[in-house]
Amino acid sequence: MEALLNLWQATGIANFTFPALIMIAVGCLLLYLAISRNFEPLLLVPIGFGAILTNIPVAGLSDPGGLLYYVYHIGIDTGVFPLLIFMGVGALTDFSALIANPRMMLLGAAAQFGIFATLFGAILLNYVPGFEFSLQDASAIAIIGGADGPTAIFLASKLAPDLLGAIAVAAYSYMALVPIIQPPIMRALTTPEERKIQMPQLRTVSKKEKIIFPLMVLGLTMLFLPAATPLVGMFCLGNLMRESGVVDRLSNSAQNEIINITTIFLGLAVGSKLAADKFLTVETLGILALGALAFSIGTASGVFMAKGLNKLSKSPINPLVGAAGVSAVPMAARVVNKVGLENNPHNFLLMHAMGPNVAGVLGSAVAAGILLALVG
Amino acid sequence: MDIGQSLATAANLMVTGMVGVFIFLSLLISAITLMSKLMSRFEEPVAEAARTPSLKAQGVPSGHIAAISAAIAQYKNNQKQ
Repeated sequence: MEALLNLWQATGIANFTFPALIMIAVGCLLLYLAISRNFEPLLLVPIGFGAILTNIPVAGLSDPGGLLYYVYHIGIDTGVFPLLIFMGVGALTDFSALIANPRMMLLGAAAQFGIFATLFGAILLNYVPGFEFSLQDASAIAIIGGADGPTAIFLASKLAPDLLGAIAVAAYSYMALVPIIQPPIMRALTTPEERKIQMPQLRTVSKKEKIIFPLMVLGLTMLFLPAATPLVGMFCLGNLMRESGVVDRLSNSAQNEIINITTIFLGLAVGSKLAADKFLTVETLGILALGALAFSIGTASGVFMAKGLNKLSKSPINPLVGAAGVSAVPMAARVVNKVGLENNPHNFLLMHAMGPNVAGVLGSAVAAGILLALVG
Repeated sequence: MDIGQSLATAANLMVTGMVGVFIFLSLLISAITLMSKLMSRFEEPVAEAARTPSLKAQGVPSGHIAAISAAIAQYKNNQKQ
């Protein structure tokens, strides 16, 4: 009889706590969104499953000695996984649209206002009882506005590891929601005439320019913002492997196998941070709200910057492309293209939006470097 | 640190951060522009040679595009009626 009782004590049913059940439900919700709704499935499948695994009682997957514990400490505590992903993103990115029209960089810079405005907002939220965000927490939350998953995880692991789960989930959810969040803001801030503006065709960019570009970015980062070199450096390595054309095998690995393997474990490790005691707090709600705010402000400031540039520059600039200044490559650029086509069916803005889009990736990495240097 | 103080720090961070991002990316713009100019100066003949075929490949005369677009628009209108 006693043995039976002991067996009962070892079952999950006897050990479930209510918060853990809620978190398992959250994990199932993420799986549902990924599988049925196709929201960032590459990340939400491992994150959702990780959330379920970590909340299983008795098994202790996230306790010292458990699998998820090790995956987290090896990959995220050290910052290795986000950096490997960044190398892959670098190998996947084609900078020719930006090199052909470098002024688009300003749009990528303007969209980072979402990050810094949200930092202010997060501190402001401290006036609401129940919230206690330090400057480090606020910086890590604000980076959601950069719309760049790996950057957000990298910065959160350095500045606010406790909030990492909520920040990563918010970052990836909002990236999946780009086609829903951005178009209303873009339409509200532009006139139909502005949306119809056609932009001149981009010049072709030589191979040498593309090879020199990553080295140049790295050089400038080295000189002016060494705190951003982990992110920018890995990004540039990936891009150089792609553009040099002599290491196609390495470039292909970075774009496919390495980024895929890392994505599985990064997702699992992020999911393991979705433990009930860390996630079921009022702070998580604050982070979700601030993330949406960061995204919207970033989109709006990009559009405003593009309007300003259009007034000043000789060659016309469609203000819509400013919205692509938040990174979220290539989703934001596709959204710009789609909204552009609504107003003028012959206006293909995709290539023009890729410029600010990849500038946004650089911009958010630079913003992360600045935050690390000033707050970290 | 009380909230007022952290708010001041956050505002400060907001300004420095944005200025920092703009300065860095502006530097990058000048660097790219400079590089493109140098490239085109040193490699005039090669660049020309490279450009000609690509122009041929993409160069549909604008008159043709206009004619084709007009035809498509007309066709669509006819379909509607």
